[in-house]
Amino acid sequence: MRTIRVSACLASTLAAFTMAGAASAQTAGEWPALNGDASGRRHSPLTKMNRDNVAGLTEAWHFKAGAGVIKGTPVMVNGILYFTVPDQVWAVEAATGKELWHINRPSRGDRIANRGVAVYKNKVYFGAPDAFLICLKADTGEKLWEVAMADVNFGYYMSMPPLVVKDKLIVGISGDAGDVTGFLKCVDPDTGKVLWTWTSVPKWGEPGSETWPNEEALRHGGGTTWVQGSYDPELNLVYWGTGNPHPVLNGRERAGSNLYTCSIVALNADTGKLVWYFQPSPHDTTDRDATESVVLIDGVFHGKPRRMLAQASRNGLFFLLDRVTGEHLLTSEFGPQNWSLGLNRRGEPMPNPNKDPSPDGTLFRSTGTNWWVPSYSPATGLFYVNANLGVWSLTYLTNGAVQDGLPDHQGGRESPLSPGDAALLALDYQTGAVRWKLGYGNPAGILTTASGLLFTSNSGYLVALDERNGDTLWKRNAGGPATNAPITFEVEGRQFVVMAVRDTVYAFGTK
Amino acid sequence: MIRILVLLCLAAPPALSQGNRWWAWPADPDPRSVERGRGEFARACGDCHAANASGTAKGPNLIRTARVRHDKDGSAIAAVVRSGLTGMPPIALTDSQMKDVVSYIEWAVQKYDRVSPGPPPDDYPLERLLTGNAADGKAFFNGKGGCGGCHSVTGDLAGIAKKYPPVFLQSRFLMPRATKPRMATVTLASGEKVEGELKTLNTYDVTVLPAGGKPQTFPADQVKVEVRDPLAAHRELLLKYSDADVHNMFAYLWSLQ
Repeated sequence: MRTIRVSACLASTLAAFTMAGAASAQTAGEWPALNGDASGRRHSPLTKMNRDNVAGLTEAWHFKAGAGVIKGTPVMVNGILYFTVPDQVWAVEAATGKELWHINRPSRGDRIANRGVAVYKNKVYFGAPDAFLICLKADTGEKLWEVAMADVNFGYYMSMPPLVVKDKLIVGISGDAGDVTGFLKCVDPDTGKVLWTWTSVPKWGEPGSETWPNEEALRHGGGTTWVQGSYDPELNLVYWGTGNPHPVLNGRERAGSNLYTCSIVALNADTGKLVWYFQPSPHDTTDRDATESVVLIDGVFHGKPRRMLAQASRNGLFFLLDRVTGEHLLTSEFGPQNWSLGLNRRGEPMPNPNKDPSPDGTLFRSTGTNWWVPSYSPATGLFYVNANLGVWSLTYLTNGAVQDGLPDHQGGRESPLSPGDAALLALDYQTGAVRWKLGYGNPAGILTTASGLLFTSNSGYLVALDERNGDTLWKRNAGGPATNAPITFEVEGRQFVVMAVRDTVYAFGTK
Repeated sequence: MIRILVLLCLAAPPALSQGNRWWAWPADPDPRSVERGRGEFARACGDCHAANASGTAKGPNLIRTARVRHDKDGSAIAAVVRSGLTGMPPIALTDSQMKDVVSYIEWAVQKYDRVSPGPPPDDYPLERLLTGNAADGKAFFNGKGGCGGCHSVTGDLAGIAKKYPPVFLQSRFLMPRATKPRMATVTLASGEKVEGELKTLNTYDVTVLPAGGKPQTFPADQVKVEVRDPLAAHRELLLKYSDADVHNMFAYLWSLQ
């Protein structure tokens, strides 16, 4: 506990260089972006709901959308709460849950999830299964424009809304089929015009292409950008994680580290030029996307103030980087695995080639997390993440051995053996040490507040915990675990916390 | 992308159903037409595009060709086949042959785009799996593995290899599907014990079903729970196997025909 107090004290003295601009809308009581602001912290400044009164949290309203599973994070701006499922957006009064408008735009494409909307200047933006970005009027839902961000016929789709960066939109893309390459686009919010594009896989001959064996291997693509990144306004850098290379499980056709798949990249927000990169999973052969949230931390590292970036990655490793330079500060394991030979000089794991998928099956153990957005609390200096620890499977390299000799973009198969232990972890960002752990975490996102609360889903309940030690302060059985990430906002003088369970949004408030 | 979701068994992996399609054509091609098209494609197109449509030095990969991907009804493919392109001669196909070739190409694209890795199919080739040494597997079974403590190759495992497809056997000897439930003894603060099948155990609740009784739920933080997992030995063994042990064990068990 001593360590935590020290780091909390130092963190507060460094508050001057937190991102005031990004936090201003939250100060007004809103939750204007997926992660509250562009820092990825999912940390609210609101304190009306606190350790003293959270036990009395009761349902203020619920809204049954009745259309699929709500996996998106709601956004609250100007008293209106917006949430989504693929093809559909709802706007409801944040204080009452009364529907204001609803749109349905049926489309062709992958509809595994929709993660929510972005709001900028009275306009609402969302991505559709057919890879279109759609702009709506915030007060009526009337469509103003729509522009294709990618070609749906190759399996591209949009599940993630844009990230608002200054007066622009940064758009990521989903898709894991058809040899597609991931990208980020900077889009004009008034017209949908694309101002710059950064692609996750370079063209042959460009920097990074030397990490692929040949042009054919590089053309298989990968590196989709399906979890929202973050932005530092003072450095003017956009940070984003990228997904796996292709073929997903067959690394033999793509010897090398396969940049910039499974990477964290820092791009100049005005030009889209790469400033630095770090690769959490060089030469990934088991679908260990590094798309997870890239969370900006301002604090000390070994006694020195630093502007940092943290990621609990899908490969079971926690990374801490200097976000000015990309310098590696810390790599730690947050659960057991059997695939890494240790770290290279850049602090990136070196995969054991003997643990690649093989024709006769490889016994593979992994730990990881996923789209279950984490949270960072400056008060505790702890990074909170729902993780899955010690999953066992057999991984097969199958090219040519199944499906009548037809290739496929997976290049392998995976037989699950044992699902591992789901847990909520509180990681000390300076050491990676697990300060506390609560078993039976659900694959839901996390929210922390300035009043010391942590909201998430555990054991099938919606819960509020004490961020210092994981003690349960409130729990609610809403018929199953949360299917999205919690948010909080204040409207009409009352603080609410909102979570969804399947097709229903629940708002809870103190009396 | 969805591997962890599948492993957690939170939801069935999304099927490539009508509601989750991205291909330009509105429905899966007719399997009989695909089957006819396979041979026709190999004969008429395979020299340049490979029998599996993934391309050769002489012709492009059709699976990731925009013209194919955008073809709603096969007419764009047919136009190229009939008229040719620069570097590609016209190819004479009857209308029904053309339809079958289009079906095969559409099928190949859909197969390529497969979303979830999932387990190998039951007909995964035995020869790929039989890389181990049965004698070493037997030694592991009787020695380090300690398998003989619960199993007998002349008893419960007699003829085990006849019961399952090979690739299924390999997964199942590592982690069988439980035939018996987990049992638990819950000790209350009063000292009273409740025994039964373990239905729920998490941060907050433990629920047991006593034999012949009704489920009883207790606050997990107020009772002591002792769990008896019939697969505990298999879970512990996962930590002991090398990949060679796995393949040797498979070879040994496969010999038990």
